[in-house]
Amino acid sequence: MEQARPGGESAEELTDSGESVYSGLEDSGSGSSSAGEDSDSDSDAEDGPGGSSPPRTHAKGAPRKSKTLEDDSSLKDDEDLLAQNEYEEDSSDEEDIRNTVGNIPMEWYQDFPHIGYNLDGKKIYKPIRNKDELDMFLEKMENPEYWRTVQDKMTGADIKLTDEQVELVHRLQRGQFGDVHFNPYEPAVDFFTHEVMIHPVTNRPADKRSFIPSLIEKEKVSKLVHAIKMGWIKPRKPKDDTPTYYDLWAHEDPNSILGRHKMHVPAPKMKLPGHEESYNPPPEYLLSEEEKLAWEQQEPAERKLNFVPQQYRCLRAVPAYPRFIHERFERCLDLYLCPRQRKMRVNVDPEDLIPKLPKPQDLQPFPTTQALIYRGHSSLVRCLSVSPSGQWLVSGSDDGTVRFWEVCTARCMKTLPVGGVVKSIAWNPNPTVCLVAVGVEQSVLLVNPCLGDKLLYGATDQLLESYVAPEEERVQPVQWVTATAEQHGKGVRLLVQHSKAVKQVTWHGKGDYFASVVSDNSNMQVLIHQTSKRWSQNPFRKSKGLVQCVLFHPIRPYFFVATQRYVRVYNLLKQELTKKLMTNCKWVSSMAIHPGGDNIICGSYDSKLAWFDLDLSTRPYQLLRHHKKALRSVAFHKRYPLFASASDDGTVIVCHGMVYNDLLQNPLLVPVKVLKGHTPTLDLGVLAVLFHPTQPWVFSSGADGTVRLYT
Amino acid sequence: SVPAASETTDLSQLINKLLAAGNADHKYVEFDFLINGQFLRVPLVTHMEMENISTEEVVEIEYVEKYMAPQPEECIFHDDWISSVQGTEEWILTGCYDQTARIWSLEGRSIMTIAGHTEVVKDVAWVKKDSLSCLLLSASMDQTVLLWEWNVEKNKVKALHCCRGHAGSVDSIAVDCTRTKFCSGSWDKMLKIWSAVPTDEEDEVEEGANRPRKKQKTEQLGLTRTPLATLSGHTEAVSSVLWSDAEEICSASWDHTIKLWDAETGDLKSTLTGNKVFNSISYSPLCRRLVSGSTDRHIRLWDPRSKDGSLVLLSLTSHTGWVTSVKWSPTHEYQLLSGSLDNIVKLWDTRSCKAPLYDLAAHEDKVLCVDWTDTGLLLSGGADNKLYCYRYPATASDVGA
Repeated sequence: MEQARPGGESAEELTDSGESVYSGLEDSGSGSSSAGEDSDSDSDAEDGPGGSSPPRTHAKGAPRKSKTLEDDSSLKDDEDLLAQNEYEEDSSDEEDIRNTVGNIPMEWYQDFPHIGYNLDGKKIYKPIRNKDELDMFLEKMENPEYWRTVQDKMTGADIKLTDEQVELVHRLQRGQFGDVHFNPYEPAVDFFTHEVMIHPVTNRPADKRSFIPSLIEKEKVSKLVHAIKMGWIKPRKPKDDTPTYYDLWAHEDPNSILGRHKMHVPAPKMKLPGHEESYNPPPEYLLSEEEKLAWEQQEPAERKLNFVPQQYRCLRAVPAYPRFIHERFERCLDLYLCPRQRKMRVNVDPEDLIPKLPKPQDLQPFPTTQALIYRGHSSLVRCLSVSPSGQWLVSGSDDGTVRFWEVCTARCMKTLPVGGVVKSIAWNPNPTVCLVAVGVEQSVLLVNPCLGDKLLYGATDQLLESYVAPEEERVQPVQWVTATAEQHGKGVRLLVQHSKAVKQVTWHGKGDYFASVVSDNSNMQVLIHQTSKRWSQNPFRKSKGLVQCVLFHPIRPYFFVATQRYVRVYNLLKQELTKKLMTNCKWVSSMAIHPGGDNIICGSYDSKLAWFDLDLSTRPYQLLRHHKKALRSVAFHKRYPLFASASDDGTVIVCHGMVYNDLLQNPLLVPVKVLKGHTPTLDLGVLAVLFHPTQPWVFSSGADGTVRLYT
Repeated sequence: SVPAASETTDLSQLINKLLAAGNADHKYVEFDFLINGQFLRVPLVTHMEMENISTEEVVEIEYVEKYMAPQPEECIFHDDWISSVQGTEEWILTGCYDQTARIWSLEGRSIMTIAGHTEVVKDVAWVKKDSLSCLLLSASMDQTVLLWEWNVEKNKVKALHCCRGHAGSVDSIAVDCTRTKFCSGSWDKMLKIWSAVPTDEEDEVEEGANRPRKKQKTEQLGLTRTPLATLSGHTEAVSSVLWSDAEEICSASWDHTIKLWDAETGDLKSTLTGNKVFNSISYSPLCRRLVSGSTDRHIRLWDPRSKDGSLVLLSLTSHTGWVTSVKWSPTHEYQLLSGSLDNIVKLWDTRSCKAPLYDLAAHEDKVLCVDWTDTGLLLSGGADNKLYCYRYPATASDVGA
């Protein structure tokens, strides 16, 4: 039976058995079967010197363990027979005859009063166990051996452990070897040294085959070589040394709890203390009596300062701040309760803030190079005008002459001496009338240049001659005088004599009316004349300042009057002021109107050019400061989206000024070209600028006595 | 194979040696060289780099005899600016800003001064040249074109017809190849075709109320003539007209277009659009190209037959001012003459578009007109009141390979 047991209970169960023993001891009632076995074998050992340990030897298998157990058995033998042959009792005959059922689960017999049968076939009865809880308790209390009593499951009998067995149990419980005499720390004996010795372990001579190349190996190697040659075996890939990291937080949701830490909003900084917080503030920070009274009467929340500035003699005299805790608390409340908003700092590329302007070369055509120089004047050329056809140019100069030029060859066709400084000149814009108004000193000359179509200038003369004087003489602010024969031969047809020096003449688009400005400070500064009726009138009752220049609207009955700082727009039909444009300039010098009539440019002596969009505002839509010196003249092109400004710095700046029909789209102003050519003389540069009526050409006249054409 | 760094002089010497080897009485001749129709002006290797020709390829170099520099001959002084010039085998006709047209001999002798216009003479043209009498035309800013008969023997000039009808300065006239018609272009945007045949009767003129006054004026100026046809279509002044063949008129205008008209029907055939005002055009029947000078510094070549609108074939850029006048060579299909406001007259070969053949820098002021006669005379007049004549040897273009 003992032989069969190791087969049934495997080695692992044996290790279990140790534990079961302890638990059995602790539980003291329900001892496990293995504990029973143990006790069984122990009791066996009690009975005879040959315990049941030898079968365990087989069970363990490991020599050292078996030794232990052998020692264990020898422990028991220790007392009576020492150094006996330990295998003597190794007999399977000596079995516990009280257990006849063999190695079966004992619960099979749980409900029976017996366990197994004896040789005679009689039942072997279990000891009677009819103790109730109370009996158990009493026994526990009364029996001093109770703690060392265990039940043998095999037989059902109670067994009292001997002292040696208890000792063994204790030893095992402490994790010691069961055998007292076993020394686990015996000195180690190195049978085979780890060191490499020079002599072989055996003295056997080397085999012959160890000297002969192995055919099998040769075959293997040749196979490998062939495979390498054929490319079947590839060299090992070099190991990639780069560590394979990855961004742990790459796909993290910024709104998750962790993400909020990134969006940390720092607490606002406390205001730094100022002068009033000083222990010795300057006297102006100290509150006067009434201020203090007012401070006290204010609600605490409304107070500008939440304390009264105090003055102390020295820092030592400053008492402890009584509101310190309060203030800290307020601060904490602020930090805690104040809603905080992240200030989104926008990263703006400064390039993006610059408006997208088209490139000048995309805005062709515009004048780029100087093409012709009209030489002839001996003094500065103040004014220019061009015939409506674009064939003739007229210029007025300080040398007292008016010259007519052929535009395309710079040929001076005519010279008209007028005997005075020519301040202003204007060719009649009506293509059917050939007439030039010249402002010389105190009079305006109406000159027929006798250029171009004969029929045309003949018709102009007829038109002027067809005037019939009205019956009754009307009071006029000026005198209309017919030219003398000598003057008539030169081309002068009419003289309009003013009382003061004429500054400017300008024609209405229809070519019948013209306006003149005289240098005066009265309401007689601006006069409007009608050529066909030889009739002049003074449109203004009051002087609104020194008039710089005037202008007729090209389409509508508006009249623009530029004073030093403002441009006033009058409706000639309703006879009222329509608009007053603020130029933001110190002194307006010149003015030009877009052929569409909705945009005006003003040049000023403080080197600014103001563009007004009349539909937009009475303030400049844009103020261009391209010139270095005072602007003398500005001009619009009749057909191309161009405007030009002439300045005392000797340059003409041509700008692209696109006006869109779409009311929502603002004009596009792009400076496209700086034209140089005139040499500034006497601190004067370019005095007049004018566009050719049909071509993208610009004329300029300067203080150097030349007129230049840029194309 | 020739050295890559060789220039035209080196190549020229090489050819001369070869020619001298073959022909004992060979005289040294300067040659010019053409590679793919382009003149060699720089060392060979630089030229090939510029034209992207591989040095590995076989390059065919044509050689032509070098055009000799034009030799200055005469300088004819005028009283005023010279607006126009036209030369023939024997005489030169110039239009002048002093309201006259003048006839000069080739030696610079003034033969005749034709006065009659009341304004600047803008253009002149020969109509017919007989031994006894010549017909010539002058157009003026006074809106008329006068047809004159010049009796060579008596040296008398007589105004045969006064062509009235333009309402602006007549800037350009051109006589057709049959010498019976001429065309005029004016500042009033019109082109008018007139008969150039002298007759004895006056055309009917429908003039309004002021007829007597006009008539008085025109009395000594010959019979009034009215246009055969009027071609209108330009939106700006017409600056230059010419007959490209018997039935076709070409006109250049300030409205940036060149228009081709059918002279018979008066229809507009096609339009070439540029982007600058045209000052002058010229047509060569040899190469069938138009050349234009405009108010920038470029001379442009056009194909008037091209149907795909405006296409500049070539532009020649060397002037620094407006090109006021251009003229094709009457004998050579590649050469042309141009005058500019930068006071320089340039002789061009279209095979060398980067640089002109010769610069004729004699004028001291704006050049206003150039002409090129069949006899190889280059004429240029300008605002310095001088008419310069150059003798240009018309070399036979012997092309070798």
